[in-house]
Amino acid sequence: MTKSRIIASYIFVICTFIILFSRYFYLQLIDHGNLLQQSINNYSSIVAALPVRGGIIDRNGVILSDNKVSYVVAILPKSIKKSNDLFDKLSEYINITELDRKKYQTQLKHSKNYDWIIIKDDLSNTEVANLTAHGYEFPELSVFARTKRYYPFDEIYSHSIGYVGRVSSNDKAKIDKSGQSNDYLSNDYIGKSGLEAYYEGYLRGQLGKKIIQTDAFGNEVGLIANTQATDGYTIELTIDNNLQQLAWKALGDNKGAIVAIDPQTGGILAYVSKPGFDPNWFIDGISNDDWDDLSNNSNKPLLNRASQGSYPPGSTFKPFMAIGSLYLGIRTPEQTMNDPGYYIIPGSTHKFRDSQPNGLGIINLTQAIMHSSDAYFYKLGLDMGIDRLDQVMNLFGFGAKTGIDLPHENPGLLPSRAWKAKRFSRDPYQKNWLAADSVNIGIGQGFNNYTPLQMAQATAILANDGIVIKPHFLNRILEKDGTTIESYRYAESRLPIPQSDIEVVKKAMQKVITEGNARQLGVGLKYTMAGKTGTAQVVGMNQDSRKAKFSGQEFKDHAWFIAFAPVDNPKIAVAVIVENGGWGASAAGPIARKLFDYYLIDKNNSTDNNQYLKFTPNNNQDGEENSDDDTEDN
Amino acid sequence: MMTPKITSSIIRFLKIFYKLDKVIVTILLLLASINIVVQYSANDQSINRLMTDITYLLISFIILIFIANMNLNHLRNSAIPIYVINIILLIAVMFVGTKVHGAKRWLNLGIRIQPSELCKISVPLILAYYFSIKTSALKFIDYVYAFLLILLPFILIAKQPDLGTSILVFCAGFFVMFFVGLPWKVIIYSLGLFLGSTPIIWHFLHDYQKHRILTLIDPQSDPLGKGYHIIQGMIAIGSGGLFGKGYLKGTQIHLDFIPEKRTDFVVSVLAEEMGFIGVSVILALYLILILHCLKIVNNSNDIFTKSLAGSIILSMTLYVLVNMGMVAGIFPVVGVPLPFISYGGTATIVLMIEFGILLAMVKQTKY
Repeated sequence: MTKSRIIASYIFVICTFIILFSRYFYLQLIDHGNLLQQSINNYSSIVAALPVRGGIIDRNGVILSDNKVSYVVAILPKSIKKSNDLFDKLSEYINITELDRKKYQTQLKHSKNYDWIIIKDDLSNTEVANLTAHGYEFPELSVFARTKRYYPFDEIYSHSIGYVGRVSSNDKAKIDKSGQSNDYLSNDYIGKSGLEAYYEGYLRGQLGKKIIQTDAFGNEVGLIANTQATDGYTIELTIDNNLQQLAWKALGDNKGAIVAIDPQTGGILAYVSKPGFDPNWFIDGISNDDWDDLSNNSNKPLLNRASQGSYPPGSTFKPFMAIGSLYLGIRTPEQTMNDPGYYIIPGSTHKFRDSQPNGLGIINLTQAIMHSSDAYFYKLGLDMGIDRLDQVMNLFGFGAKTGIDLPHENPGLLPSRAWKAKRFSRDPYQKNWLAADSVNIGIGQGFNNYTPLQMAQATAILANDGIVIKPHFLNRILEKDGTTIESYRYAESRLPIPQSDIEVVKKAMQKVITEGNARQLGVGLKYTMAGKTGTAQVVGMNQDSRKAKFSGQEFKDHAWFIAFAPVDNPKIAVAVIVENGGWGASAAGPIARKLFDYYLIDKNNSTDNNQYLKFTPNNNQDGEENSDDDTEDN
Repeated sequence: MMTPKITSSIIRFLKIFYKLDKVIVTILLLLASINIVVQYSANDQSINRLMTDITYLLISFIILIFIANMNLNHLRNSAIPIYVINIILLIAVMFVGTKVHGAKRWLNLGIRIQPSELCKISVPLILAYYFSIKTSALKFIDYVYAFLLILLPFILIAKQPDLGTSILVFCAGFFVMFFVGLPWKVIIYSLGLFLGSTPIIWHFLHDYQKHRILTLIDPQSDPLGKGYHIIQGMIAIGSGGLFGKGYLKGTQIHLDFIPEKRTDFVVSVLAEEMGFIGVSVILALYLILILHCLKIVNNSNDIFTKSLAGSIILSMTLYVLVNMGMVAGIFPVVGVPLPFISYGGTATIVLMIEFGILLAMVKQTKY
């Protein structure tokens, strides 16, 4: 027998053991981490418990942002085989749209293995019944109920409360960056805009997690860890829903914005930007068609006009100019000038036209405000000059964010020499600040524009005798059982302007209503009110003729009105802008009057407060808030 | 009194034991102990099963000692009747076999036996016998006859269907021919022929067999279906790490992720609970045993014992390779037990017979 057989045997044996040794070495030492994780995934099954998102209520407890039950059909990522087959099979029983498929893919991208991936939500009763009946065909699917955001007032709060939506790739990136990646599921909702986004941290609550040990057949064999979900806090706003409804209706079919502030607390009472949109569309992802409708709409329903839209203030700027002139000592209340119907910068020939073609004659500061003299304020603009104007207007918050509790506020534009030099840096003729620029700003035209929110805030500061309080929506943060976690604490600061200066202007603004150019608003007034009209030019006017170069609704001027009441103890300050509304006193003024009438008189007599769902403190840990019962009682 | 009688018989038994090759006996005892430890965990600490296992091991050790003390000539002379009886049993399986998982492999004769397992010894035995009675130099036709002797049980077993066992039986016979001097040329040509005909063989494979091979190539292609066994086996092994998850603490095993954890996948119990250390120990025991036995084969001059023992040793190496390789995902899933560790009465008894032959060989060579 040859030796080669024995040698070959040895080689075979050695090879065998080298192969086995290296393979086990690789699996057990090199790939250990990965395989250990897989074994943990095998036996542990994480069931996420979603917190109930806190509601948003108005100052009287009316629910503005609610939760409702939505039936969904969902699948765990580890059970997914071929989603196309699944969808095809499922479409026999439920209606699956392209949008559903798209949303499914998005979730799949960031899903964790314990995330339910939602195939379709808001299942109808028939669909739930179909799926239940054919459940045996889809053992990997689960049909369950979950809470979903619901906005009972549709578009009325679209720009203040905003909306929640499914966690997107962008959200996911932000969440990961802030180290909260374990707090959100892939099918979760997150505040996308408005207060929903701003107070996400309070509203969201805490995800609960139950980690169970299961065997190969999915039977639960033990509990590894269990943390309960903590529901989100309820946010109580300073908003008065009745006032908001009234403001919304008062704007009618016009585009525009209304901001009402309580000057003594800074609380926002009403916040309207019209047109709005139905935030309910966004919750589970908006369809492409709906999105196109909204984003290509020439009325710009997605624009938050109240804090992101900015407009030249027009004559509503004049009271602030007046206070500035008194404060800086440029004018005294008694000082008079002649208003011939125009103003000419000394040494030039250009006529800055007045809105009253024949002028007002000899007028003092109060009369200039009452009748909205342009000539008076043209001259004041020039006399004050841009540097001082910039400095004093800054005090009222013009050109700076108010710091309201909403995302993406527009700071508006209060110009300065530096601003113009930068803005027109390539144009040697334009980059210098000109006397004419100051003249124009004197009446709130030209290079300046502010948000309706800024106008309302400036009015509130004026009404409150120069005490500055940051505007805010938040009133209180509430526990589910109604106990207060935190009340909004506002900080006051006082402007360096003497109260007597402000008083002169307040009285003048009161006279605007009683005997000035908005005196029709004062008819039958049961309280004292102060205000100022304004007109913001939409297109450049021909200064010589003061006639619009263009005609048609979209070229009409924007109508402004700012006001507060009662004059001695202001409870409410508003700024109203009606786009293309024309003259402030007739288009915007009546809206403010309506709001004041309600807020100062009718509110206390009204009994219709109970027509809306109200927040009911819930002491029962297990029970869901069931507001339906309460309305029936009411 | 009974006591002295019992004591003396125990002493006699130990003396017999003591006379046997110490390396083989020690390693077999160690493997048997590992069997008990591992099976106890695989059986979820069932005392009943533990008792059954111990009983089987005791019986197989008694058989081992019986064979070890047998005159090898008796064995040699009974090669033909053993082979014939085995073939009859295989044919009987075809008609009256018990069907389990779609395969007819078992024969119920009071106790359930698996005739295909017996072939693992009867086939090399008949071949070793066949070559040992040839006095003249072996001719090619002798190998052809020998090949036919292998082919008959091979086909019968493959038809059950049990491709794994039939291949192992084939290999056992082939190893005998290899040791009696089947020319290298023939080996290489037939290997070439085999590889060349793979597509044709593929065509004749059962679907389940094709799947097993396909899923081996890419287990993730069907993680919940055909690839499941392979993936779960690898997870069990890999998650054990260096020291293992601790005895009786394997999650893959005790939460039923491992199929056939008592039989074909038993190494995953060891690997998951005792880690790479446990695997290394058992690999070392096998290696020492195999190398030791190869030395014995090398020292033997008798063609019958040499080729038979050589076949036994290479077969066992093949079992270890295929079984541990299969659980670790480098071989297709075929029903090959892990020697001495997997549960299975017939297989263990056949192994003990084989090592009994080896022990007898050592004994008879020495004296």
